[in-house]
Amino acid sequence: MADHTIIGRVTRCSTRGFVGAIRLPEPDLPTFGSLCQAEAQQGRSQVVGLIYDISIQDDEFARQLATAEGVTPEQLADSQANRQVPVEFSALAVGYANAGKFHYGLPPQPPLTLAPIHTLSDEEALAFSASLDFLPLLLSATEVPVDDLLVAALRRASALRPRSQRAGYLLQAGRVCARLLGRDLTRLETVLNGLAVTA
Amino acid sequence: MSLDLPQLLPQIDAMGESAAARAARLAKLLPQAVEALDTAAGLPAEALEARLARAGDRWPGAKPTDEPLDAILPPPPHPERLNIAGADGSQIYPDRHAPLLYYLINIGTILIEQGTGSRPKTSTRPSLRYEDADLYSESDALINVPLVNGERDVAEMAALADLAESSHPAPTLALLDNGLLLWLALQVQDQQREPADRLLADYLRQIDRIQAAGAAVAGFMDRPRNASVLALLHLALLPTEHVDEANLRQNRFRGLTDRALFAQQLPPGHRSARFVHASPVNRDFRAAGHEVQFFYLNTGEDWHIARIEIPAWVGESPRLLEWVHAGILGQCKATGGFPYPLVRAHELALVSHSERQTLETMLGRAAMGRGLEARSSQKARTKRWTGARRRHRL
Repeated sequence: MADHTIIGRVTRCSTRGFVGAIRLPEPDLPTFGSLCQAEAQQGRSQVVGLIYDISIQDDEFARQLATAEGVTPEQLADSQANRQVPVEFSALAVGYANAGKFHYGLPPQPPLTLAPIHTLSDEEALAFSASLDFLPLLLSATEVPVDDLLVAALRRASALRPRSQRAGYLLQAGRVCARLLGRDLTRLETVLNGLAVTA
Repeated sequence: MSLDLPQLLPQIDAMGESAAARAARLAKLLPQAVEALDTAAGLPAEALEARLARAGDRWPGAKPTDEPLDAILPPPPHPERLNIAGADGSQIYPDRHAPLLYYLINIGTILIEQGTGSRPKTSTRPSLRYEDADLYSESDALINVPLVNGERDVAEMAALADLAESSHPAPTLALLDNGLLLWLALQVQDQQREPADRLLADYLRQIDRIQAAGAAVAGFMDRPRNASVLALLHLALLPTEHVDEANLRQNRFRGLTDRALFAQQLPPGHRSARFVHASPVNRDFRAAGHEVQFFYLNTGEDWHIARIEIPAWVGESPRLLEWVHAGILGQCKATGGFPYPLVRAHELALVSHSERQTLETMLGRAAMGRGLEARSSQKARTKRWTGARRRHRL
């Protein structure tokens, strides 16, 4: 099994996705468009999610300090690092792993509350993104910044590959997008422009 | 909806009327109080002392110190480096309807090393008390609310003493979210005098530790309701021969607070003169070398007047007094007049309702795992049934 880093724990979930909470974000984790997974079915499966939203809750005290004059560096450090204001991140379910194999569809069950959420190792992310069958599920999501998420996820997936394969991977992804978004040329153009930047 | 608000409407209306009438009455008294402060400050020291002597030990007014009664003192410069420690506590009182009999004290602390830019050190120290010796007195009475509060107050002061010792020799101000006197000493009945005396001795020992560590300690009281300086002004206006119990009871400033008086007097950042706390409990503090004094401070926002209580050894040391005055002001800037370390200490100490429920579930499981039955009383369970009812919200 690859080395996993716990980036948070599930606080609420459905088969469409899950929300995780952490106390302090690391500079590199979690990030928009990265893949993560959370245990479901008592360990029999792992729901694979694509992180699409990271939010830091505020409260009245944080609002007071944000607008106050005379906040000292020590108070700032305390409020940023010590106060237990949870960082929440939301992941869209784009597949699941079962018996060492990835499936591209909604998971049979959501993870349980407080299930650990791990990053996917580079090898796992490479294997998961080898198929582009997760794109239909991603494009069908509502209330999610789908186009930006799609571009971020594909750019990350291409960056995992050897330099010589990256343009080919994005070209193949662009073709799938062209098929799936054939009826919405404006969106398709946005997505293709996003992919072209890194191609 | 259990609270019948429409039924209350006439009473709410009457209450508003009454508050307005009271405010108008007190507004007329205020200029007289300001004038009285001026008059009292002009009295020869012997004349005031003669009145104080006639008022006796049980008179509840403030007593003057070496500073003029009407002194208005500007903020001193903030030391370049000052450690500021804050502590606050919360508790779960023993509840005979709970699955198990226990009580809990939770102390939150913060140490801000002002001037270093470093991240403050925070801590939360929960303590579960469940042994018979914790719960019952020698006469088998269950520990009551004042005693639990007293234990919490001692734990707060002990946490401040720990921080003061760990900070030595850096200049340190230890802040408490309340007055400095241990009110338990006034509240308990005779049968609980022994544990109360023990707690008082322990509390005073913690102040000894802070003093020995070279730190200053202060209690911060937000929105104080005291009127002991006004009682002193009333006394000062009485001719010495008229100072008796009946005339002292006829306080001309009744209803007014010291806070209202000093809101007229103190510009932002300035403090009043120091006064000696008149409570009978202060006798024990005086005997231990920690007589409690106080002053009023405009913490800088919207004429926010706080009462600051300090031991006499802080008040009489210009250096320690500067730490208190400047240190509190520095910590009030970002938080609208209430010190930042106390906001955070309270946040760290607070036990929420849901945390209490989780704790009781865990305690119940721990008991059941050992074959014990741990259930709430039927009364507590029925309260949960009705309490969980959906209600219309206003």
